[in-house]
Amino acid sequence: MLNNYNSMAQPLWQNGPTPGAFYNFTGGQQQTQKLPKELTAAGPFGTKRSTSSITTGSSVLGIRYDGGVMIAADTLVSYGSLARYQNILRVFPINNNIILGGGGDFADIQSIKRTIDQKMIEDQCYADGITMKPKALSSWLTRVLYNRRSRMNPLYIDVVVGGIEQDGTPYLANVDLRGRAYEDYVVATGFARHLALPLVRERKPKDREFTAEEASELIRKCMEVLYYRDTRNMAQYTVGVCNASGTTIDGPCKVSENWTFAATIKGY
Amino acid sequence: MFRNQYDSDVTVWSPQGRLHQVEYAMEAVKLGTATVGLKNRDFAVLVALSKPSSELSASQRKIIPIDDHLGISIAGITADARVISRYLRSECLSYKHSYGSTYPVSRLITNLGNKMQTTTQRYDRRPYGVGLLVGGYDEKGPHIYQVTPSATFYNCKANSIGSRSQSARTYLERNLDTFLNCSNDEIICHGISAIHGSLPTDEMQSRNESASQLNITIAIVGKNQPFKILSEKETQIYLTMASEKGAPPANQPYDDDESTSQAGPSTSGPRDPIVAVATEE
Amino acid sequence: MSTIGTGYDLSASQFSPDGRVFQIDYASKAVEKSGTVIGIRGKDCVILAVEKIITSKLYEPDAAGRIFIVEKNIGMAVAGLVADGNYVADIARQEAANYRQQFEQVIPLKHLCDRVSAYVHAYTLYSAVRPFGLSIILASWDENDGPQLYKIEPSGSYFGYFACASGKAKQQAKTEMEKSRFVDLNTEELVKKAGEIIYRVHDELKDKEFRFEMGIVGSETQGIYQINPAVLTELARKAGENANKEDDSGDEAN
Repeated sequence: MLNNYNSMAQPLWQNGPTPGAFYNFTGGQQQTQKLPKELTAAGPFGTKRSTSSITTGSSVLGIRYDGGVMIAADTLVSYGSLARYQNILRVFPINNNIILGGGGDFADIQSIKRTIDQKMIEDQCYADGITMKPKALSSWLTRVLYNRRSRMNPLYIDVVVGGIEQDGTPYLANVDLRGRAYEDYVVATGFARHLALPLVRERKPKDREFTAEEASELIRKCMEVLYYRDTRNMAQYTVGVCNASGTTIDGPCKVSENWTFAATIKGY
Repeated sequence: MFRNQYDSDVTVWSPQGRLHQVEYAMEAVKLGTATVGLKNRDFAVLVALSKPSSELSASQRKIIPIDDHLGISIAGITADARVISRYLRSECLSYKHSYGSTYPVSRLITNLGNKMQTTTQRYDRRPYGVGLLVGGYDEKGPHIYQVTPSATFYNCKANSIGSRSQSARTYLERNLDTFLNCSNDEIICHGISAIHGSLPTDEMQSRNESASQLNITIAIVGKNQPFKILSEKETQIYLTMASEKGAPPANQPYDDDESTSQAGPSTSGPRDPIVAVATEE
Repeated sequence: MSTIGTGYDLSASQFSPDGRVFQIDYASKAVEKSGTVIGIRGKDCVILAVEKIITSKLYEPDAAGRIFIVEKNIGMAVAGLVADGNYVADIARQEAANYRQQFEQVIPLKHLCDRVSAYVHAYTLYSAVRPFGLSIILASWDENDGPQLYKIEPSGSYFGYFACASGKAKQQAKTEMEKSRFVDLNTEELVKKAGEIIYRVHDELKDKEFRFEMGIVGSETQGIYQINPAVLTELARKAGENANKEDDSGDEAN
């Protein structure tokens, strides 16, 4: 019981004398690394693990601009094709220099978010003024997600991490359920990767970064396109902004809907 | 040294609220040769004195690199230091693997302290018989940490541990205010000057009181400077530079803080043996 | 303590003939040698303050701190061995994290205190370990429960307090505390009181230099535990120094 709630402390009498046995000297205390249990033994539901997501968030779009990053996602969490939860925030402030947008299985998003939040509290506890940076967080996510996929038990998520680095430069990256990761001035998950990414790329000036206004306008435009073209999208979204003055979540914003053209569409 | 009944195990408190086994382990630090750690605005420097155990052997390694941003200098039981350095290295490595960045020095040392604490509280362990000076650099700048066998650690402006280190500490205290704005060359020379007073007296005479002959190791870490142990050639340059910069306070008799000969207060009841250090509170 | 030295005081798992566990008493002795720590509970905040005795000029001001943050709104201060303190702080953080993971809310201070004290107590039961040389003061504030203050002894017993003290000048601090009614004091008044008490009980003859350190949580810190917040700490130090001056001039007048 004593050692159940203390992962640091070693059990009492470890390496101590055991009647009828030899001492275990230091070095014996590191047990040979065993394969994780879930790989060697069947769980209560057999050996098959989740291979699909249940309640899902759709696209997330992140744009890096000259003074920070913006990450946008609509507020819908679907259950299959059912628009089940329509007012769920999927862009989160993590600390003063990180925002995170999550797509994919929402339970998995919530789970990883809890773990990250605990890390932020640890940062506070140390009271040394050192905080997590977006690059470090996305690196950590990559390790966790790749590890999970290697155990054939992936977290079904596709996240966008953005924020400001120690030296003040904006950072934006995407990590997916296999631990694939890349950084760019625009990253997107879900349908936005097909619909929004090209729209942003074709407007990128070659010689400079976007400005905040341009990024903001592109987000608005892309969320509109996504709403019209992606059936798992909703007309309401939030935008997380991270710049030198901190992190904020703006919205919920409405997509300006106009269905007058619907009557003119024929042939489907 | 005389015994009493409360000094047999780390698990025994003395009636005065002291842990003698821990205090004895602190004494082990003083058996090692001296080492000095100090820092300026952007760099941390470790200087260690090494002495071959015999004419035919090479000297023990005193400075152990841990990671690009961190290294330790040791005084005490070298074998214990290897266990600690292996721990520190694997912590730094796994941190780098997870976060792609360097382990903040203060956090690493806090965790090391907690690891070391367990050895001061269990019957089946003994405290590590080694003191560390940690020199590191992270986003908060350069750091010098002192870690003792009692598992206490101190964030230092500068410090020195090991045999006859008191005169080095006196030197450091005297020049403490100038360190922050020193150049790298100057801070290394200060390190050499500080450690010079820790030389055994006979050695000093045989070396003809010349700092340029010292058998020392120097390491530096800081802004855009990964942890580096200076080569023999570089060390020689600094030794010459230090001796040119003026005679180090070598001949002054060191204040012998380690003398254990003071008469203990005679109180009734069981008495603790008098050792120089008290268990730190 | 007539049975000291008769062999019944060498193990935490052994009673003396008159019913004491001497190892626990001895551990308390380590606490009594430590710099003073106080905890005081005001109207809408709670303060932990420490007389950190400076043993060397070579240390940075923040070296070997004795106040820790355990959760967003929970702080801890210790008197006794600093190494033990660091270790127990880590245990407390794990407890808080554990609770948060299970219930998605901050651990109630009484619950945390219960767990930490059980941990401390476990170290008084076996000959294979020694008791912690620590007196642990835990403090928290939240919207519902207001300020809270508990102290755990090396034996593992704990009590809730309006104000409490441990360490060298425990008695003097208690005497100082009994003069005030802390529950009526607002944040600023309480901060000043903390400074006054620590500065007054500091014994200049025995320990020359010390550093006043404090931790505070309350409505004014938005329920976030803060260690040495610049403005408030300065206020406390000023109040402390003034109190010492007044005492001195008062002595001369007499």
